[in-house]
Amino acid sequence: MTAPRVVVTGLGMVSSLALDREGTWSAMLAGRDGLGPLTRLHLPAEPAQVAGQVPLEAGRHQTRCERMALRALEEALDGFQPTGDPARRAVFQGAGTSGLPVAEAFLEERLAGRRGRAAEAAYQSPCAVTDALARRLGASGPRGTIMNACSSSLLALGMAWERLAAGELDLALAGGAEGLCRTTYGGFSCLKAVDPQKCRPFSRDRAGLNLGEGAVQLLLEPLDRARARGAVIYAEVLGYGASMDAHHPTAPHPEGEGAARAMAMALRAAGLAPADIDLVSAHGTATPANDGAECLAIRRALGTAADRVSVTSTKSQFGHTLGSAGALGAAAAILALRDQVVSPTLRLEDPDPACDLDCTALVAKERSVRAALVNAFAFGGNNVSLALRRWEGR
Amino acid sequence: MSHPGTDLVLTGLGLVLPCGDGLAAARASLASGQPCFGELPEALGAGRGAACTAFQPAGIIPPMQLRRLDRPSRFAWVAAHQAFQDAGLDPKALGERCAVAVGTMTGGSEASEAFMRPYLQRGPEGASPLLFPNTVANAASGHLALALGLKGPSATFVDRENAAFAALEQAARWLRTGLADAALVLGVDGLFPLLLDVCGGARLLARHGLPEVGAGRGFLPGEGAQAFLLERRSAAEARGAAPRATLTGLACRSTLEGGTGARTQALAAATAALDPGAVDRRIGGGSGLTRLDAPEAALAAAHPEWPATVHPKQLWGEFAGSGGQLLAAAMLEPAGRVLVTAPASAGAQCAALLEEVRLEP
Repeated sequence: MTAPRVVVTGLGMVSSLALDREGTWSAMLAGRDGLGPLTRLHLPAEPAQVAGQVPLEAGRHQTRCERMALRALEEALDGFQPTGDPARRAVFQGAGTSGLPVAEAFLEERLAGRRGRAAEAAYQSPCAVTDALARRLGASGPRGTIMNACSSSLLALGMAWERLAAGELDLALAGGAEGLCRTTYGGFSCLKAVDPQKCRPFSRDRAGLNLGEGAVQLLLEPLDRARARGAVIYAEVLGYGASMDAHHPTAPHPEGEGAARAMAMALRAAGLAPADIDLVSAHGTATPANDGAECLAIRRALGTAADRVSVTSTKSQFGHTLGSAGALGAAAAILALRDQVVSPTLRLEDPDPACDLDCTALVAKERSVRAALVNAFAFGGNNVSLALRRWEGR
Repeated sequence: MSHPGTDLVLTGLGLVLPCGDGLAAARASLASGQPCFGELPEALGAGRGAACTAFQPAGIIPPMQLRRLDRPSRFAWVAAHQAFQDAGLDPKALGERCAVAVGTMTGGSEASEAFMRPYLQRGPEGASPLLFPNTVANAASGHLALALGLKGPSATFVDRENAAFAALEQAARWLRTGLADAALVLGVDGLFPLLLDVCGGARLLARHGLPEVGAGRGFLPGEGAQAFLLERRSAAEARGAAPRATLTGLACRSTLEGGTGARTQALAAATAALDPGAVDRRIGGGSGLTRLDAPEAALAAAHPEWPATVHPKQLWGEFAGSGGQLLAAAMLEPAGRVLVTAPASAGAQCAALLEEVRLEP
């Protein structure tokens, strides 16, 4: 029995550019960025005051993460009401900070000598978002909340693909949601990883990342089911690779050894050759350590085919959205496969010679995009790469 | 993957528990039935719990590394070291063929509190670059990868009381799809003051006496790490390793509703999916919290033919490995067939079936 082919049939985006998919995508292609003055958090002593903020507030019984995630789910569903066995519907979510703002608020209250709302903190586990999405989707099948830092949501996509391709599921929701919080802002800042200006991935003078927030949700289905219900098919998911660097707690391997292995694994799982890849939706954080190592990793994985690929970084539009960053990179690749146009890397005016690939500087690029790799790397030397293919109707 | 067959075996076990480090301490604790609860050291929070006060990392974790690690990562390191030794495997030789899957309820939170406290009080001046990398839940897997040279796939699942089951399921999948030859599976949790404060404030903790399954008085918290080496049987046999146990079933079922009835049904469905038949031992996840105890009680009532359920959380506390302590307890006495159930206060309810459990592989 051949493994079922897995396709993306729903895509919802909530970003600092727009609260929907097409609004976000058209703004990306137009070269707008979602970075602006930090107002969500009051951190006047922080040297960097730039962030990608989503104009959505928490609900009465809903964290901002949950609200963003559910909004993205509604867009991904686009009116579709799943039927059939709920136990064959699954939800896999990547999370970075998730309920951390609630814990911060509780701790702040306690430090001020007040009682605080312990019950709220007790039940705001990261998996609360996963549960809320599962309830809305009517999914009583597998659930996973993956916290692999910045590669979490891309791994969630890989896990959803894995189970669909094994024939275990009829429908899976995968993605991530991330809101700004003081711990991550202060943390990246104290590591000197935050650029006080807007970040510049792949640039010679890149000086770090900006933090951002947002949510991306993808519906994945077996191809035969998607066809049977006449679903819109955005792209095909072909497989993923995952690896660890075993090099440093926070810094990537300088030659991209583990990242290249993850990409090679994704290619093998997908049955693709390096020459089949036209786009790499890069991790591209704009930290001095990441971008050069990632470009080396792309060269290691793709060989001479690397000279032909387009590379782009969504961090230049949204900042680093941590737990949802991988899914955001996947969304950018899926829409590039759909529309045959690659979104630009903003502010790439002076490319780093160490990043000697076509990094889609400044403006969107129309080109043939047959297949793409999406990269997400994380603290702990954790690497994930996902392979996608353009849906051409067969 | 309700029925993975008999092709996956557990060949190594490493334990850090409130009763002490290693298998002998755990066996003695389980045999005595003596709870490990007491007043917690001030650094871990105000109140009672089961802390790993006898934890001994010296000789295993180099001092330079020790100061960089958060509490759960220290536990994970020592447990993983024991598990590799127990399995007779050299982690560095496995390299990219060894996966790591971690389940935790609290991973990263201890470091988050340690980072946040001075940051909230003093702003950027109080922020520690040494602490921040440990605020991610996957800090333990990253430290282990670095220490042991593990380069395969890695995932950290953060869930409620049974996250270690999700980790075990993913590890089994990676082995069966050929992405790894061996997988290190960990359940790990560490205590910290904010956790005690939150659980106490939310009235989840037993305020008097010991936690008692079914009494509805709440639970007491614990900490620890359990490391399991999972391999394909063929690989284990090829290197002459005798398994400690065979993983013959693992199932999780979720609920759409949040009530006790729905969770009870889900735990029963997960158990039924394993088709356990006659079992020699029963390990359960009752903790003193009604949300977990009620599904266990219903399951026991529906199966009077099963032996009485042992609830290790009554000895070692809640958290304490997010279900890893239950799987470990299942491997501490020889048995032909052990059913382990791991209810959770929300989300997925899980069960696992181990067979041919041996004390000395």
